[in-house]
Amino acid sequence: MDDRRRRFEAQALPHLDAAYNLARWLCRSPADAEDIVQDAMLRAFRAFDGFHGGDAKPWLLAIVRNCWRNAGADRKRRAQIALPQDEDGRLVSADPDPEAVAMEASQSRKLDEVIALLPNEFREVLVLREMEDMSYREIAEITGAPIGTVMSRLARARTMLREKWTARELV
Amino acid sequence: MNCPELLRTQAFLDGELTGDAAREAERHIAGCDECRAFSANIAELSDAMRANMTSHRAPQALHNRIGALLDKEPAIADFIPRWRRREFWTGALSGIGASALAAAVTVSVLLPPSAETLAQSVADAHTNALMSGKIIQVASSSHHTVKPWFAGKVEVSPPVADFAQQGFPLIGGRVDKVAGSRAAVVVYNHGRHEIDLFVWPDKGARLPGESTRHGYHAIFWKNGDLNFAAVCDMEGAELHKFVNLVRTEQD
Repeated sequence: MDDRRRRFEAQALPHLDAAYNLARWLCRSPADAEDIVQDAMLRAFRAFDGFHGGDAKPWLLAIVRNCWRNAGADRKRRAQIALPQDEDGRLVSADPDPEAVAMEASQSRKLDEVIALLPNEFREVLVLREMEDMSYREIAEITGAPIGTVMSRLARARTMLREKWTARELV
Repeated sequence: MNCPELLRTQAFLDGELTGDAAREAERHIAGCDECRAFSANIAELSDAMRANMTSHRAPQALHNRIGALLDKEPAIADFIPRWRRREFWTGALSGIGASALAAAVTVSVLLPPSAETLAQSVADAHTNALMSGKIIQVASSSHHTVKPWFAGKVEVSPPVADFAQQGFPLIGGRVDKVAGSRAAVVVYNHGRHEIDLFVWPDKGARLPGESTRHGYHAIFWKNGDLNFAAVCDMEGAELHKFVNLVRTEQD
């Protein structure tokens, strides 16, 4: 095993769980998350010479997020070519309404479901802050948003989460 | 959300404030109903999320797949671009038609090099020139000699000026390559250091800004349809001084 591989295993691979967790919270399915993490780790390894010390976690999470965004762009392009249609040629959605799915699911997974319903840009700041313990600066690096935007998104995300949660408890 | 201090309150609760800023935020929260309620909310949510949100762990199969993928990656010593490996050409020539191959080659040539490639490329060109003792192909301290020398040798006509008065005398020029593109290199002196000023046509590549490779510093910028990179083993401040001179001359 060469030196680069050893350094990668010591510095980047310990954050594989964090990478997968972020991908799971960004993607619709576990299979998509695995594809994205696999792609991200390979890219991270190839770009590892450009990583100059420090904490590899935000660096790696930024790559995961980029891969996820690129994959999303791919899916959108494909979707424009062939959207599923019903017999009369009307467009139909392949995914069931996420809100409906969430309502039917068991109460014990309530918090997960409420968070899953938040728009991406709010969900990701919550996951990075509360689950991955990233600082504002690190979240800004990972999401490519200015720190001021990170702060207001986080405040907004918390307010939305609070509202949805309270609403759900009343159901 | 009405209190203008709400984001500062949040920053305090997230542990982003220290010292005076933290004490000030704390004082404000004590006296502001909205921020007090918001704090209680955040604390409760944060506890609930940390306790109840599902933290997904990478499956063992994914671990294994990544390990296997990394095993297949070439080690750094034999990291050869794919198109330079024989298998690539054998595969390409047998598998697809010549026109598809031509198209593939065109695409890879049209893609601008990455910032990483550029940083490495200028540092390599500079050290190679120094080590081979061929840093100058035309030696002259006169821009009337150096500038016309480039005509017909490179696509660009680089701006050439002498900064001897400011401590950076022009000593000559050469033709070199930056990430595959021919570049004009205007060479300057500063004390015992040689400075290479690379100039090549801008084809939309993202420049690294500033980079350091094995002790060589490089500063990149664009001006009009030209890319510039100044490379030297001097410390950053001196190189910045040089870049400022060149850029002032350009404006």
